[in-house]
Amino acid sequence: MTLLAHGVGSRTDLPIPLGLALYGAGAAILISFAALLLFWRTPRLGGPDGGRPLPGGVQRFVDSAATRRLLQAVALALLVLVVAAAVAGPAETRRNLAPWVLYVTFWVGLVPASLLLGPVWRVVNPLRLLHAVLRPVVRTAPGADRLPALGLWPAAVSLVVFLWFELVFPGRAEPGTVAAFLVGYTVVHTALALWFGEGWFARGDGFEVYSALVARLSPWARRADGRLVARNPLANASATPETPGLAAVVVVLLGSTAFDGLSRTAWWQSGPGAANDSLSGTVGLAGSIALVAALYLVGTRLSGRLAGQPVAVQPARYAASVIPIALGYTVAHYFSLLLLDGQTTWILASNPFGTPGVDLFGTYGNVVDLTAVSPDTIAYVQVGGVVAGHVAGVTLAHERALLSERHARASDQLPLVVVMVLFTVGGLGLLFGF
Amino acid sequence: MSRRSLAVPLLALPLLLAGCAGTEAPEAAEPSAATSSAPESSAPDSTSAAPTTPAEAAGTALEVQVAGGQVTGDTGRVPVPLGDRVTVTITSDAADEAHLHGYDVLADLAPGAPAELVFDATIPGVFELELHDAGTVLLTLQVS
Repeated sequence: MTLLAHGVGSRTDLPIPLGLALYGAGAAILISFAALLLFWRTPRLGGPDGGRPLPGGVQRFVDSAATRRLLQAVALALLVLVVAAAVAGPAETRRNLAPWVLYVTFWVGLVPASLLLGPVWRVVNPLRLLHAVLRPVVRTAPGADRLPALGLWPAAVSLVVFLWFELVFPGRAEPGTVAAFLVGYTVVHTALALWFGEGWFARGDGFEVYSALVARLSPWARRADGRLVARNPLANASATPETPGLAAVVVVLLGSTAFDGLSRTAWWQSGPGAANDSLSGTVGLAGSIALVAALYLVGTRLSGRLAGQPVAVQPARYAASVIPIALGYTVAHYFSLLLLDGQTTWILASNPFGTPGVDLFGTYGNVVDLTAVSPDTIAYVQVGGVVAGHVAGVTLAHERALLSERHARASDQLPLVVVMVLFTVGGLGLLFGF
Repeated sequence: MSRRSLAVPLLALPLLLAGCAGTEAPEAAEPSAATSSAPESSAPDSTSAAPTTPAEAAGTALEVQVAGGQVTGDTGRVPVPLGDRVTVTITSDAADEAHLHGYDVLADLAPGAPAELVFDATIPGVFELELHDAGTVLLTLQVS
């Protein structure tokens, strides 16, 4: 069964109007250069110790083992239910709960959840519960010493695997694929966590790292002393530690969303991607990620060279500043999917196994209302998301430059800003459909 | 701009309600229905194929042919004005089922016999028309 580019879905967005694309691109360019000239001259977003502490009761509740284990148990039960529905539910994708839960409600819904509530998947991750149950059997984690050196590279790999299943694999929407992926993911990551220790989840579990990354733009953070604080999301993002592999994770997210946009264009569908098979999709996905990676490396290294700083550390230093740009892309591409096709999850959840006569929530007979959000609203959210992500990205990069050198020249940041403008104009071009 | 965004959901509402209630002729309440053809004569049911009904005089008429897995005719990205009555005539050399995503309209295809898919383009967006068994995308409808 051939399906639309993103895992599942019954519709894709209309191309944004040319005028809106041009306004967005123009605004991004103007803001960027105005920012270089007018922004603050000393770091001012605050470091990792800023923020207003949350009430002690809130912190005790959030941090309590009971809360976490309970939430993880609920998530584990849902995981089992979704796998069971994938195996035993209706064979047809549009009537099976599992693909809609995985590709729409979970994967896309993780973004608003993390943006509003912080790194939710770290708290809810059902694999952490599985690991806790199995840990006494294994006792030692032989690979724990080697984990820090890996940085976030394992998460980048984990995300590439998921994104390939989601965007490329021809059978991506089949319930069987979803069941196999979920079972495989559970087994592999629980086993790796037993080998590397519990720290694996924060570094190798793609979903958890994704949630934590998006949460860098939420108002919630944890100070170095463990205290939960509320603070300016930009200060939060600015305080992101320079972990090896962080840039890779961000580049993978940005590149894959770009590929999703590319594969929806008439140019791709009638040109390079006409075959709609694994090969063209794999080449397209790898090419998109490689292009984003190349641009990012050139921009950051050139900026570093102009500033007379060691070139090798630059990509890791500026990785956090690309998080909002990746987030803007995600909002632009998946906002309508979550609101429109996301309705399917709630319809099918009323009868997960397609049993005649079962209608738990009285919603099984409902029809997805594909007119719930108007095309104008979708277009404004898309352009607004991309441009807002761009502005936040440029701001963060500027702050990073000042942090690395108190009297950084604005012109040194030009190459990175130009690359960010390219990302944004390219993103708008994809939305416009060229 | 804002007037259009208001008008779209309002127009679509009665259709959706009609679609939920059953498959009996929602055309009666259809404000934009073509008036040139006789209103009494079997107006095509929007949820099933009507292989022998002649195409409406107004609206968009599209044709695709499938032979040996190759699709010819109005393939690729096809723009359609919002609210138009759309008739897609599909001729296939193999038995299959045509499915328009989003609108969820289906047509059974018998080898060699042209089948028609008739619906009102009331939902804006981009939608694929595909063959269920073969998995081939016949065309992509861009309703705006």
